[in-house]
Amino acid sequence: MDSAEVEFLAEKELVTIIPNFSLDKIYLIGGDLGPFNPGLPVEVPLWLAINLKQRQKCRLVPPEWMDVEKLEMMRDHERKEETFTPMPSPYYVELTKLLLNHASDNIPKADEIRTLIKDVWDTRIAKLRVSADRFVRQQESHAKLDNLTLMEINTSGAFLTQALNHMYKLRTNLQPPGGAQSQDF
Amino acid sequence: MPATQKPMRYGHTEGHTDVCFDDSGSCIVTCGSDGDVRIWEDLDDDDPKSINVGEKAYSCALKNGKLVTAVSNNTIQVHTFPEGVPDGILTRFTTNANHVIFNGDGTKIAAGSSDFLVKVVDVMDCSQQKMFRGHDAPVLSLSFDPKDIFLASASCDGSVKVWQISDQTCAVSWPLLQKCNDVINAESICRLAWQPRSGKLLAVPVEKSVKLYRRETWSNQFDLSDNFISQTLNVVTWSPCGQYLAAGSINGLIIVWNVETKDCMERVKNEKGYAICGLSWHPTCGQIAYTDAEGNLGLLENVCDPSGKMSSSKVSSRVEKDYSDLFDGDDRSNAGDFLNDNAVEMRSFSKGIINDEEDDDDLMLASGRPRQRSHVLDDDENSVDVTMLKNSSSLLKEEEEDDQAGGIHNLPLLTSQRPFYNGPMPTPRQKPFQSGSTPLHLTHRFMVWNSIGIIRCYNDEQDNAIDVEFHDTSIHHATHLSNTLNYTVADLSHEAILLACESTDELASKLHCLHFSSWDSSKEWIVDMPQNEDIEAICLGQGWAAAATSTLLLRLFTIGGVQKEVFSLPGPVVSMAGHGEQLVIIYHRGTGFDGDQCLGAQLLELGKKKKQILHGDPLPLTRKSYLVWVGFSAEGTPCYVDSEGIVRMLNRGLGNTWTPICNTREHCKGKSDHYWVVGIHEKPQQLRCIPCKGSRFPPTLPRPAIAVLSFKLPYCQTATEKGQMEEQYWRSVMFHNYLDYLAKNGYEYEESTKNQAIKEQQELLMKMLALSCKLEREFRCVELANLMTQNAVNLAIKYASRSRRLILAQRLSELAVEKAAELAATQAEEEEEEEEDFRNKLNAGYSNTATEWGQPRLRNQAEEDTEDSGEADDIEEKPETHNHGAVTSSNQGRINPFKVSGNSKEPAISGNSVRSTNILDSMNKSSKKSTALSRATNNEKSPVIKPLIPKPKSKQVSAASFFQKGASKAGKTEEVKEENSENSSSESPPVCPQNTENQRPKTGFQMWLEENRSNILSDNPDFSDEADIIKEGMVRFRVLSTEERKAWAAKAKGETVSDGAEAKKRKLVADRSRETENQTEKAKENLNLPKKQKPLDLSTNQKLSAFAFKQE
Repeated sequence: MDSAEVEFLAEKELVTIIPNFSLDKIYLIGGDLGPFNPGLPVEVPLWLAINLKQRQKCRLVPPEWMDVEKLEMMRDHERKEETFTPMPSPYYVELTKLLLNHASDNIPKADEIRTLIKDVWDTRIAKLRVSADRFVRQQESHAKLDNLTLMEINTSGAFLTQALNHMYKLRTNLQPPGGAQSQDF
Repeated sequence: MPATQKPMRYGHTEGHTDVCFDDSGSCIVTCGSDGDVRIWEDLDDDDPKSINVGEKAYSCALKNGKLVTAVSNNTIQVHTFPEGVPDGILTRFTTNANHVIFNGDGTKIAAGSSDFLVKVVDVMDCSQQKMFRGHDAPVLSLSFDPKDIFLASASCDGSVKVWQISDQTCAVSWPLLQKCNDVINAESICRLAWQPRSGKLLAVPVEKSVKLYRRETWSNQFDLSDNFISQTLNVVTWSPCGQYLAAGSINGLIIVWNVETKDCMERVKNEKGYAICGLSWHPTCGQIAYTDAEGNLGLLENVCDPSGKMSSSKVSSRVEKDYSDLFDGDDRSNAGDFLNDNAVEMRSFSKGIINDEEDDDDLMLASGRPRQRSHVLDDDENSVDVTMLKNSSSLLKEEEEDDQAGGIHNLPLLTSQRPFYNGPMPTPRQKPFQSGSTPLHLTHRFMVWNSIGIIRCYNDEQDNAIDVEFHDTSIHHATHLSNTLNYTVADLSHEAILLACESTDELASKLHCLHFSSWDSSKEWIVDMPQNEDIEAICLGQGWAAAATSTLLLRLFTIGGVQKEVFSLPGPVVSMAGHGEQLVIIYHRGTGFDGDQCLGAQLLELGKKKKQILHGDPLPLTRKSYLVWVGFSAEGTPCYVDSEGIVRMLNRGLGNTWTPICNTREHCKGKSDHYWVVGIHEKPQQLRCIPCKGSRFPPTLPRPAIAVLSFKLPYCQTATEKGQMEEQYWRSVMFHNYLDYLAKNGYEYEESTKNQAIKEQQELLMKMLALSCKLEREFRCVELANLMTQNAVNLAIKYASRSRRLILAQRLSELAVEKAAELAATQAEEEEEEEEDFRNKLNAGYSNTATEWGQPRLRNQAEEDTEDSGEADDIEEKPETHNHGAVTSSNQGRINPFKVSGNSKEPAISGNSVRSTNILDSMNKSSKKSTALSRATNNEKSPVIKPLIPKPKSKQVSAASFFQKGASKAGKTEEVKEENSENSSSESPPVCPQNTENQRPKTGFQMWLEENRSNILSDNPDFSDEADIIKEGMVRFRVLSTEERKAWAAKAKGETVSDGAEAKKRKLVADRSRETENQTEKAKENLNLPKKQKPLDLSTNQKLSAFAFKQE
């Protein structure tokens, strides 16, 4: 799975928009959306929200956690804790990225939020790397990682498992050198 | 009477605090370790004015508009009060001062500092300083002798000294306290106090008691203590009358003694038990404000006060607080100060008893001061509060004028008879406002927020502009206007933007309309008001604009700028709103008292037929509240909101009364949170508003988000199922009144909405009936049935008989008969009325009238299409005959839902039921019900009802059969009676063909078909032929289980004991054959069909029993 796919999955997340048009309920395979009343907040999937925003058909209401104070607290908490802390949304990186790219005018202090989310992300990825490193060094057979989001797993999951496979192969090949050499010689 | 303790609230950050009242007692002033001085209008004041005086404030004192503070930069500073402008430094110490106080007349201050010094400084001339040396440790507290001869001080060296101010000598010194090296380490800050007025006693808190020392002799007169005191006392303060003494301890206990009797009057424990470090007695009434060492502020009310006086004082302070919001913040509170100042002056020649002082206030506000005096005071006011006047002079003057007017009016009587006015106090009138606007004094404010869009006004140094934004961008794009004329009020509709400004010295008051929906190129117009006429409120409707002015005129304009009607308002306008052709005006009907507003409402219709719906009727408001929003629901029903958050809506169904539909405060989380209403929708039921945390209105930034609240009528016991359903029922009724209104005024509306509403209501009624049945409340059942429509009553009868409540069933069937008669009578009346003005209406081009007449025609045709016998046609041909009206409509009103339907009727049913199928689907009604229902709906939306078939006898007959059906197991007499009627009808079919209809089904299948006809019809709306219906019915009947079929058959038999089922069947067949021979044959054939076909549908019977089961 690449990150584009993860992003695609994230686009299903519901966000609140304030439409500036009027439309009855629309019936889609994924479920009913609307009705859209101008000026009245309504929950729609992210993909639709971005689409409407790009066409200037709505204003986005940032999710509750997308607030500088809350994110600062989250960042500090993340830095303080050894383990991963729970995130406000399983798609926090994707949501932030998409919302800030397309609707930064509707989100107060967009730049600060971007930085904060980046900080959180960096902290978590660093933790992930450190723990992976420790995992490999100590040659543990299993490890438990809680509160990881899909995107985070995706950054290192594939690589790590592949690497472990290779290492396993190398290690198993390393075992019987004595016998083989003695046969040659 | 015990003191009431209000919950503590956050005042300052943790640390030492100090508190005092201002001279009039209208504000509480606190200072704390965050270096701020806060001015609280009330304990509930969520937006106290903060003045930053330094890094830390140790003590503050307030007198004569001067606020002195001891701050951490070792100075004693002066600020003006209430503006908070720095007014210089009075004196400096080498370290910080710990306590600063004013003397009695406010000419001097005394300050004691940690550098062991005490200074007395003249406020006007700070070079006049007196130093008191003698303490050997930081000075803790000071107290001025009210006669200005002595000064008492307490210090960390453990001594309490009394100084002679004149020669700065120490008169006496007592070693009372524990020694310590710094203020922080002192166990008690020992805030000592002289008795006010006489200065006879000096109270010093020493450990767990208060020592009182006699003046001059300096002997310990007595001690005040109490068993409850477990920790050292920190602070003492006297009541202004000198009768009571309050002390606060370091564990948060506040004790009040009566000094003469030495009785303990009050003991109040601070919730958290923090040390009390500031204690201040209200200058006029029994309130004590206190602060603790953690920065919290608290208030005790009704301290040592006879009950009566307090309530009024509380009221006045609350009212003042409320109104301060209304009248743009601080301005109003200043006005209050000013009035209270008068009271203070008056007091000097009043007796000076604390209780009477409150009366003084009343007197000043309500009635009386001589004219001269008020002038003097006005001058005074101008000189003192220049900035305030700058802010909104006009408002204040208006206030004063009001007060004076009242005062002069009452003056002669009151002054001659008794010196104090003791009656209710008039409330200041609320200012005119636009719904959905935020206060005028804000630099960034909403001028209007309604269902169309938002108008914002920016008024700061860089910019003076107006931003218009539409919720729906398809109406118009957002616009930006420069606000050069300083527009203050605005309104927005889907046609235009309306703006208005007040007059200035040069320019007249203007009404400016941006008519963006105009199809020509000039989209703006401006109208100047005549001189000395200011626009106070404006609104827009469809195709018109209105402006109410200060000269009590209402001016109407077309949207294009043509002046239309002008009329006088009965009182000063408060607010206006428009919707479609409706205009609602809220104005002051008179003067309200004790915090109430006295408002009236006019509701006008400005359409082709101009009429007044509400003729200035009083507008009900919650006590002590004022109007905050007025407008129309999206469907056109007037609504308003008062400051207590109650939303009321006009109940057109109950003689234009106002019904509360929502209490927004119930939804608020915090005490100071509010909802700012922006719109009301009846379908779907939505109250759109903006949640405001800690304020009454939202800021422009960050952009507030709309929340949707649901409505809830204030019914009792809504926690119970009964109460809940009652609330739901009446809410449904209330929120569909608009449909009747729309129908009456010839607007278009969706029929389905109406049908849905009726269905919903009838369902609720049925549920309630079932519930009452379960609770053995049969009388209640009948009452509920009274509210039902005819067909629902029939269902109720069925329910009752099924749950074996025969008496109830009997009652209900009687009721059904009654109802039918009533309905018939009203229909007859209505018909006559409608006949009379039918022509007019038609001329007036009301579409609904046309359709009313269209419907009967349709039915005519439908009936003529059938092979019905000649009689019906005859009658149908003269539908407009008057004398037929009463009788015929009675016929249709009392349709018997249980008898077999005559064929003559079928077409009518099929024709009609198509329209009402959606109601029928889930209501499980018999075909008869469907007709009745569709008729009922017809009746409601179109008063002109087609006379169907006149038959004088029919009513009685059907009533009898009706009754029998309802209570099928009733006595034989009914049976006989019924038989008679049947016989008579069957014997004379040509004379009275309708009677054949009254015959009941003779077989189980026919009964079943009766029940399920509507289902069949609704499933197959294209069935017009009776044969088809029967065919389909057969198919369905076959599907029923044997038991069920047997049950039906038994039922049919049970009802016709005397006659064999066969005979009945034959008779029925005979009847039918008279009319549709071939059809019957077909039907017979069908009867013989094998039981091959499989059903698709559950029988109604099953559904109904399921319903009944659910209820139980």
